[in-house]
Amino acid sequence: MLLFAFLLMPILLMSMFGYMFPPTPKANQFTQSVPTAYPNLPVAIVLSDSGQQAYDVATSFIQISQSRSLFIVSEAPSFNSARDQLVRGELSGIIVFPEGFSDSLKGGQQALVQVTVDETNPQIAAVVSGEISTVFSMISSNMAMQNMQKMMQSNTNVNPEFILEPISTNGEPLIHGNSSSFQFLAPGFMALTVVFGALSGVGFAISREREQGTMDGLLVSPIPATAVIAGKILSQTVRGMIQGFLILGLAMAVFGVRIYGSPIIMVAVMLMGVASFVGVGIILTSIAPEQETAQMLVILLQFPMMFLSGIIFPISQLPGWMQWIGKAMPLYYAADALRKVMILNAGFNVIGADLIILVAYSILTMLAAVPVFKRAMTR
Amino acid sequence: MAPDPATLAIETNALTKRFGSFTAVDQVDLTVNEGEIYGFLGPNGAGKTTVIRMLCTLLTPSAGSAKVAGFDIIHESIEVRKKIGLVSEKLIMYPRLTAYENLIFFGSLYEINQDSLRKKVNELLEMVQLAPFKDKPVGGYSSGMRQRLNVIRALLHDPEIIFLDEPTTALDPQSTRFVRDLVKELKEMGHTIVLTTHIMEEADELSDQISIIDHGKIVATGTPQELKHKCHADNLLDVFLALTGKELRDSASDRVPMRRVVGRM
Repeated sequence: MLLFAFLLMPILLMSMFGYMFPPTPKANQFTQSVPTAYPNLPVAIVLSDSGQQAYDVATSFIQISQSRSLFIVSEAPSFNSARDQLVRGELSGIIVFPEGFSDSLKGGQQALVQVTVDETNPQIAAVVSGEISTVFSMISSNMAMQNMQKMMQSNTNVNPEFILEPISTNGEPLIHGNSSSFQFLAPGFMALTVVFGALSGVGFAISREREQGTMDGLLVSPIPATAVIAGKILSQTVRGMIQGFLILGLAMAVFGVRIYGSPIIMVAVMLMGVASFVGVGIILTSIAPEQETAQMLVILLQFPMMFLSGIIFPISQLPGWMQWIGKAMPLYYAADALRKVMILNAGFNVIGADLIILVAYSILTMLAAVPVFKRAMTR
Repeated sequence: MAPDPATLAIETNALTKRFGSFTAVDQVDLTVNEGEIYGFLGPNGAGKTTVIRMLCTLLTPSAGSAKVAGFDIIHESIEVRKKIGLVSEKLIMYPRLTAYENLIFFGSLYEINQDSLRKKVNELLEMVQLAPFKDKPVGGYSSGMRQRLNVIRALLHDPEIIFLDEPTTALDPQSTRFVRDLVKELKEMGHTIVLTTHIMEEADELSDQISIIDHGKIVATGTPQELKHKCHADNLLDVFLALTGKELRDSASDRVPMRRVVGRM
């Protein structure tokens, strides 16, 4: 049962966050179409305008959406009935062609389409809005091209693309291959798992032994207290590293994460991450009277660390004072170093500052932990 | 007549332990002769466990000194631990490991040669009739089995001095009889035994010498007969009550911070 839980935790953690942030889809090399991360979302069209232009644009929208599996498009008799469906969760978006749409196009004026999405689910709402805009951009571009060609029938040297979009951009990725959001997350989760293992594992091991009486058996034997601590550290380090590599294996096999850097440097960073937190775990446990309190103290530290250390999202999005807190935690540096090594093939020269901070943390916390532990066990 | 230091297994000099403002052990002087069974009696919260833990180097004294097997408990703690065995009220065993695995683990901490250790473990398991159960996880043992196992764990390295903290509490009569006979056997083998107990007949039956502690101070020391004579009592219970009173001692442990109590034997 314990082994099952030990293996299940990293699997669950990775699966939850991995599927929460799906990978960026790759364009089809033949059709250049880009599959969506959320295919076939249900949307409804409300044709309040009875003109031919509105009908033609709506038809184009349906064809493009269905050919690329973007949306399943239905027609709603009115905005209110569509809104009810949206609220009930039967739709992800509503597109309204208002009265006057066709007249605007016929009169050479820009026509507006009203889009309504479900803001209670921001992630889906952003996707639906974005994809609807993209489809209408495609339709607009086609219409603009046709209009330009009509206007320039007499001058075949003019390139409509040059007039419509003189400058276009082409992205050159820093990371070649499939750059999924999970490529960003995986190193952070590895660091998180390894570090949490050190922080809570060592602490719980000590407090559990103290409560069940076996700590007395260890301390009454002729071995120094430092040997007891070293044993606990070693066992929890191995456990944390196993879980960390389990996450890595799963990330590579299931989520397509690739390692571009040196595995040796990666292991070194993980070990430094462990070392930086072991001392903290020992101190927290030594000052706590029982395992339950030790657990609470560890959770109190783990929870903010998870969100403030740049594991799940970049901390630059946070207010300044929160960023300071995040940067005061060694997990920030462990995750940063691991990410750079795994994704950007960084060497020791690039992650040197991160490693120095982790080493400093390790030394300081261990220097404090040993006497605190000895005093706590013999007070 | 003053005890001969050469034959003293344990001697303390004004041994004191304070937890904050509370003095749990107050300048205790005691001597234990080699090869004797020393009974240590006292009401709840009197300081017995604290004295034992200091002598076993599990607690650092606030003041005073003590020597166990000739070694100072503060400055020569590792040497002290080589000479002592501790049988605490808690089972000092990993519940998921078997008896055999536990004993091999704890024996390994004493740098005993592995072949000798395996032989010793098997002999001790036979001695306490646990050999048929040696490959079962300790978590499934009865209280009697656990206590027998607890006792032999303390004997792996053949210590000179064995501390037994309430060894028969919560045991059935058969197990109680077994442990008491085992204690007598250990004395015959030459071990020095320090025994704390609440069971007066046990102290009376087993102890060569008894000290009674109350509110952190030794209030009386002597053989069971001497104490009965001194207090004009027929039995040790009356001696105990005469010296410590009949008041319930529920409030005594309240003065000790919770975290100390949890850590106590």
